[in-house]
Amino acid sequence: MKDPTPTTRIRNVATSESEVRDPLRRQEHAAALGMWLFLATETLFVGALFAAYLLVRITHPQGFILGSRETDIVLGTLNTAVLLTSSLTMALAVDRQRVDMTRAASRWLMITAVLGLIFLGIKGLEYTLDWRHGLVPGLHFEPVGGQARGMELFFFLYFMMTGVHALHLFLGIGLVGAFAAMLQRGRLGAGNPAPIENLGLYWHFVDVVWIFLFPLLYLVHRT
Amino acid sequence: MTVTPSYLGGVRRLRDWLLTRDHKRIAILYLVSITVFFFVGALAIALVRLELFTPEGDVLTAETYNKAFSVHGILMVWFFLIPSIPATLGNFLIPLMIGARDLAFPRLNLLSWYIYTLGGAFTLYALLAGGVDTGWTFYTPYSTFFSNSHVFAAAAGVFVVGFSSILTGLNIVVTVHTLRTRGMHWFRLPLFVWALYATSAILLLATPVLAMTLVLMASERLFGVGIFDPALGGDPLLFQHLFWFYSHPAVYIMILPAMGVASEVITCFSRNPIFGYRMMAYAILAIALIGFMVWGHHMFTSGQSMYAGMVFSLLSFLVAIPSAIKVFNWTATLYRGEIHFDAPMIYALGFVGLFLIGGLTGLFLAALALDVHLTDTYFVISHFHYIMVGGSVMAYIGGIHFWWPKITGRRYPEFWARFAALLMFFGFNLTFFPQYILGYLGMPRRVHEYAPEFSVLNVLSSAGASLLAVAYILPLFYLGWSLRKGRRATANPWNATGLEWRTSSPPPPLNFAEQLPEVSEGPYAYDPDPQRGHL
Amino acid sequence: MSERSAARRLMGVWALLMLLLALTVGSAFLPLGVGNTLLSLLIAAAKASLVVAFYMHLRTGSAPLRLIASTGLLWLLLLIMLTLADTLTRPSVSAPW
Repeated sequence: MKDPTPTTRIRNVATSESEVRDPLRRQEHAAALGMWLFLATETLFVGALFAAYLLVRITHPQGFILGSRETDIVLGTLNTAVLLTSSLTMALAVDRQRVDMTRAASRWLMITAVLGLIFLGIKGLEYTLDWRHGLVPGLHFEPVGGQARGMELFFFLYFMMTGVHALHLFLGIGLVGAFAAMLQRGRLGAGNPAPIENLGLYWHFVDVVWIFLFPLLYLVHRT
Repeated sequence: MTVTPSYLGGVRRLRDWLLTRDHKRIAILYLVSITVFFFVGALAIALVRLELFTPEGDVLTAETYNKAFSVHGILMVWFFLIPSIPATLGNFLIPLMIGARDLAFPRLNLLSWYIYTLGGAFTLYALLAGGVDTGWTFYTPYSTFFSNSHVFAAAAGVFVVGFSSILTGLNIVVTVHTLRTRGMHWFRLPLFVWALYATSAILLLATPVLAMTLVLMASERLFGVGIFDPALGGDPLLFQHLFWFYSHPAVYIMILPAMGVASEVITCFSRNPIFGYRMMAYAILAIALIGFMVWGHHMFTSGQSMYAGMVFSLLSFLVAIPSAIKVFNWTATLYRGEIHFDAPMIYALGFVGLFLIGGLTGLFLAALALDVHLTDTYFVISHFHYIMVGGSVMAYIGGIHFWWPKITGRRYPEFWARFAALLMFFGFNLTFFPQYILGYLGMPRRVHEYAPEFSVLNVLSSAGASLLAVAYILPLFYLGWSLRKGRRATANPWNATGLEWRTSSPPPPLNFAEQLPEVSEGPYAYDPDPQRGHL
Repeated sequence: MSERSAARRLMGVWALLMLLLALTVGSAFLPLGVGNTLLSLLIAAAKASLVVAFYMHLRTGSAPLRLIASTGLLWLLLLIMLTLADTLTRPSVSAPW
């Protein structure tokens, strides 16, 4: 075998990798990239439910209308307002941390967590009411009026979608609480904005999912 | 004489392996795990081929037979093929190839292996508790309503292992974006890196849909509700759409890394730069992209609308174009090269030929009218095994051989490696070519007994399978032997280009000595033959 | 940007979100037929865009981040569109029961 002269010019230069790019900025960029990639996977994870919803709704339009009318629009609207507000408080927390106001950031995070808990509380109330009215497929489903099949499919998707959402929110609240505690203890100062920025991205994503869930579940032909 | 420290050095404690953050050690953890699952899945299909030796169903009951091919599919797809190249060779090589010290998120890398193991535990439980008989495709309403097997446990196993591959994909994408060394521009990357980047994009975008689909399927089974059940107002095709939206791109997850390996090996052993580097990179991206738009070709006869069928058929033809470009370019790379038939090259050339045959038969299946005749027959089985086994597995094993000196610091015995490669090629064709004919003649898939006129071809196929078995087992022996007794490898035993060959075999823990290498030229800078002429 | 104006911008976005919420709930009670669904989804898209642009900082984000964000959404649309291509063009046949 003829000996090839390696023509790829490789030089082992006397520079360390820290001179290739500022490592801290690169780490932040990597963290943000990673977080957005994760959110892209979540888009498709939850998106599969939205796709299922859309396709079942097309074949059961009446069932979905009747089913949607059984949801509590007052509680749903209230919850939406709560969650949107929690996004504001989360954004404020991220903003405060960036300018090293860690105690203020911690407080805003705690408010965010409280708002999240309120959301879950209201959701729990809705679930309880649904159970009382016999609207839980597979466990206790006795709808009034026709379109029982369509309504059952609607409520199956309703519980799946709001359930997956609530699970994500629950995890988010836990993380928010943990971050609030860390900020109080003086960790996660302004020099390290990536973790709380990423936490914010997660929280806002959960909010965005709800923004789409709300009209699809609560506002189907209320006239 | 100072000995370069090896990433393998001084690792006597189990803890050093189970709590490692070194991408190279994590690659070894994966290598061991997927090999175990490979042989469990192979055992399952050995039972199947044994049964199919005779037309009567005399070895297994129908139920057990169904469980055997189901577990074969589940283990081979999710616990062997999908992680095979990305989690072993990808994990090991990507940081080396781009001149980095590790992947972007080393701890996530370790976590992904633990998640893989957890998913494997669920699936093994399903197997030991009695198996699952739905096929690897979990079609509804059989899986949600009628099956009495361990659907839940099996689906849980697949659900969990999906997150392992998502994390691997995430790690690779961020790594390639942020950790390339100085001078390593995108169009100087080895095609192996391009291939794994595209694979990772597919992993990230497709796997979550599968995860949710399995959740929906399991929930239906648990609660007796029916978005997939026609008797309850649902649509079984909805399941199929959601399932194949992942499972078709999944086959590109399985083939793209193999194509990456082929590009590395064929260039090295023909001493030529790759023909058409940019087109090869673009073709990789095109395959990944178009691969997401063809899933309906699995549903031509399931009740899907004719209109949708035509759309999916057309797109399926289109996806063959970038694949063909790659086959042409590998061939052109050989032209006027200095061909060396080392074992990796035998595997790589075998890959190209068998992938070609498998790909062409894919075109037959993409034609709507032909598919009506061929669907759910052995023609389909042969088609995808030509690509996944003749293609991906051969490329994977070829890659293991090619980078074995780098990974272990040892040379394997070339005679046995070539023997195994040739035996594999021969055994593979004997196993699967008869299956094309069987399918064309109308033998359906997933049946444990068949009409007597299919007998001869089935005997040939089963005979081939036993040769294949030997070919797969042989490397365990001689590669294992080489770990202790093999010749010690130099840094670059193949005289290959690529940054991974610029460090010792095996590499030190942080991949490169004090300084990271810098790059100022493209890949595959092999000395081209001056008489080669321009193509 | 001073902390005051940053906070004020965030609150301005919140006010817009509340307004859009009121709009979507209010319009749900107008008899618009299929327009109801379209309108509510459009408003939802507007709300989501506000959150993504201002709270998730994508307005000032780098090109790779924006590409990733849009790819996730695009792929979901791909799933939905091509599946709809089947569901909407299938002749519907009622089950005999």
